[in-house]
Amino acid sequence: MASAIIQTHEKLVKKEISCTQLVKEKLEALAKNQYNSVNFLLSDLALAKAKQVDDKIAKGEKIGLLEGIPFGVKDVFLLQGQHASASSKFLKNYISPYTATAIQKLVDAGAIPVCKENADSFGHGSTSENTIFGSVKNAHNEELVGGGSSGGSAVNVAKEYTVFSIGGDTGGSIRQPAGYNKVYGFKPTYGRISRYGLMAYASSTDCVGPITSSLEDIELVMNVISGKDYHDQTTYESQAINLAPALTPESVTVGYYGDFIDNKGLDEKIKSDFLAVIEKIKAKGIQVKALSFKNADTLVSTYYALAMAETASNLARLDGSMYGERIAADTLKESYAVTRSEGFTAESQRRIVGGNQVLSQGYADEIYLKAQALRKNIIQLFTQDFKEVSVILSPVSPTLPPKIGNSLKDPLAMYLSDIYTIGFSLGELPTLTTPLGTATGIQITADKKQDELTLKFAKYLNEIL
Amino acid sequence: MSKMMSLEDLSSIKGATSSKAIEELFNNIKKAPLNDIDNNVNNNPIVEVSNLRQDVVISSSETEKNIIKQNFPKEKNGYLVVSKVIEN
Repeated sequence: MASAIIQTHEKLVKKEISCTQLVKEKLEALAKNQYNSVNFLLSDLALAKAKQVDDKIAKGEKIGLLEGIPFGVKDVFLLQGQHASASSKFLKNYISPYTATAIQKLVDAGAIPVCKENADSFGHGSTSENTIFGSVKNAHNEELVGGGSSGGSAVNVAKEYTVFSIGGDTGGSIRQPAGYNKVYGFKPTYGRISRYGLMAYASSTDCVGPITSSLEDIELVMNVISGKDYHDQTTYESQAINLAPALTPESVTVGYYGDFIDNKGLDEKIKSDFLAVIEKIKAKGIQVKALSFKNADTLVSTYYALAMAETASNLARLDGSMYGERIAADTLKESYAVTRSEGFTAESQRRIVGGNQVLSQGYADEIYLKAQALRKNIIQLFTQDFKEVSVILSPVSPTLPPKIGNSLKDPLAMYLSDIYTIGFSLGELPTLTTPLGTATGIQITADKKQDELTLKFAKYLNEIL
Repeated sequence: MSKMMSLEDLSSIKGATSSKAIEELFNNIKKAPLNDIDNNVNNNPIVEVSNLRQDVVISSSETEKNIIKQNFPKEKNGYLVVSKVIEN
């Protein structure tokens, strides 16, 4: 698919549509939509910015590629003066005091934020049902979930309500909804994009990334939002991504984890489609290696033990003292307890309690510290594997998107559905969901800081599949 | 020996108890085989400890300060009203 950003830019430059008209159309489509993909419209801000772009065009001034391009923002990012609810009751009326670095860079480049997008509350979920704004419906079948946690963002891109959207990915929250809604979703190397202004879920794996309808749009957005940030010490300077020079297939060795494919929970059709992709790659003369993921059985447990511990710590600040909805009680302790019990959803409470449990006496050594050691094992496995292969392919999800209403009843099944995405989060690796090959797409992973390679390989796959 | 705090107290969530789904995840970790960690392998860390910035204070803008005040759950004459903190 051609770049939606470039196509929209050309329409603006050729005056086929004014920026005000473009933004109005997007706002109307978002307002009318039945997918529960939007928490807040940013109408006043967006229309004011659109007028500035129109004035510039009217004066014959050049506009940048992203100038005037309407985009969506997952409702866990701060944008000064606008709502930032994390899809929670707790922060339903919270106003962002400042703007997240990634969003600020896009605004500085002239892109126009048009909405705050629905998601699982505080990123806690894989279906975008854990939200006070209504379950997000899949863009291709309204009875199915939109995926999560960045479900609203993926649906908005799939339905063309936004030209692109910015999501957050802790354990697959960009990649899985991208796969469920047949769009591109990219989780870059941890630290490539600043997390400043992204509400923290699990800080050691939280990543910011784009959801788009084309690879070219991922390239364009990534090259604006990447880079070292004073406010986030885990960021690093990165080279611009350049998709133009084609990949030389003979220089690539592809790996895939046999343990992932042998997983009994993997849908038969997804499995056969994935293996068919592997065969097509082999038929092109590319070397393919089956790898072994020794920790596959404990991957989900490792991720959730660490993510819950981190989210329990990160969300401890939400007690109604300084912001959020405070419920008064007779004592301070009671006020905290009532406020947090009312403000957090059942799934968020489950994760906070699990996190406090894993960090408590009797569990910390046996579970939390062991999970940290298991994570080191996983990172070393990736280090070894990337000495043998250039990219690793894997399914995005073991099953098709579930029906709305089923997942929150069975949280363990929901956690297990993350099996193919969370390992690459623990490894801090750049991973792209490309909407090809299987019904929920394919993940392409490369070694740390090899973000460009994942996109180039996806471009190659587009040519051969 | 320190008194063990309940999950309800640790989480400040009323009636908080361990969930079956999470116990199952944790039990899986107890049983997991752990491979030796080779500390000589360079795992290509993203951030080197030697490359951290100075810790300096940067004052927020007036707009930011005003929005922070706007977000106070309870406010009186421009000040945050806190819950009663001296008790029991």
